[in-house]
Amino acid sequence: MRVAVRLGALALLFSCTALAQDDPIVITAVRNPVAKSYRKMVEGMELFERRRHLAPAATLRFRLLPRKHATEMEGVELQVAAPSRAIPLEVAADRTFALKRDDAALREDAKVMPNRRAGTMTWRAEVRTPGLPPDVRQLGDLRLECEVGMKSGLISRYPPGFFGWLDELFPENPAFCHRAAPRYLFFADRPLFSVTLVDGARREVLSVDMLYGGASRDPDWKKDKHCDCEVLFDRAYFVPLGDASWPDDTLVVLEYM
Amino acid sequence: MKAILAACVLLAGCSVLQPSPPVPQKPALSAAAAERSLSIGQSTKADVLAALGKGVVVDFESGYEVWVYREKPPASGSELRAELVLLFGPSGILAKTRVR
Repeated sequence: MRVAVRLGALALLFSCTALAQDDPIVITAVRNPVAKSYRKMVEGMELFERRRHLAPAATLRFRLLPRKHATEMEGVELQVAAPSRAIPLEVAADRTFALKRDDAALREDAKVMPNRRAGTMTWRAEVRTPGLPPDVRQLGDLRLECEVGMKSGLISRYPPGFFGWLDELFPENPAFCHRAAPRYLFFADRPLFSVTLVDGARREVLSVDMLYGGASRDPDWKKDKHCDCEVLFDRAYFVPLGDASWPDDTLVVLEYM
Repeated sequence: MKAILAACVLLAGCSVLQPSPPVPQKPALSAAAAERSLSIGQSTKADVLAALGKGVVVDFESGYEVWVYREKPPASGSELRAELVLLFGPSGILAKTRVR
């Protein structure tokens, strides 16, 4: 048994080494930068086009979010970095950015790379139907955000069992978002007090268990420092994405602290 | 023998690390009645503790705290439980309430 465990560990070590050797060499100003696969993000954009009936008027951007208190979010520079080229991306004041398809960058397996170290920021898809008040989201937008986010590989991953509920996010598959109440974390712009779903005359205030990463059910949540919501806990919420009784144009009304 | 001792130490450590069981809440009030007994902008944490007992506390680095009280399920096996959620500002005064 011990031999098998050691052999497994060795195999894992060698496979990690092989992966590292296959990675393209990119010169950046930051050691160990946070980076995402350009190919996966383009696949997420393609999924958005295929599934945009969930939010016909919406547009897709991606958003950078702080993961540590010390993360400096001002002046973030972003580029699509490939061995032979670097394509700068414009980051808006709200830390969102748009991505365009570039066949050469796809061939070179480029990375989307900000000038920040790994573990200091997290990423989300940002799908917004225009014309809604700032404290109102639309359920179809959030459904698309989840699907694109999963397809794009934006969610940070950890070893199975390392962080309880986050294990559910492991399958990088948009089907995850079709579960009745997937634990896909959304982040409001400000600290939240409640979230209410509104479909015509039907209203439902979500349980507090859907807020703060489920902290009201887990008294030890503060010990879990590996969630990508570490500094955004008071803005974090889940919604019942896969509950088909709520149509895509259901309003998700946020009440702030 | 060492392994058994180590296991015992580990078990003891785990039991120490387990969160203490929540203090039983005062059962007589419904969530709505409990909410009516409080005053936004006036009730303090001590007032709420005296009136309702201790709830589940979620505290944030901003100084805000959310306290949660849940009614007993209306029927055995049911997951539907009324909940009262209280928001305290950094000053310790009740800022918002809601019943679900």
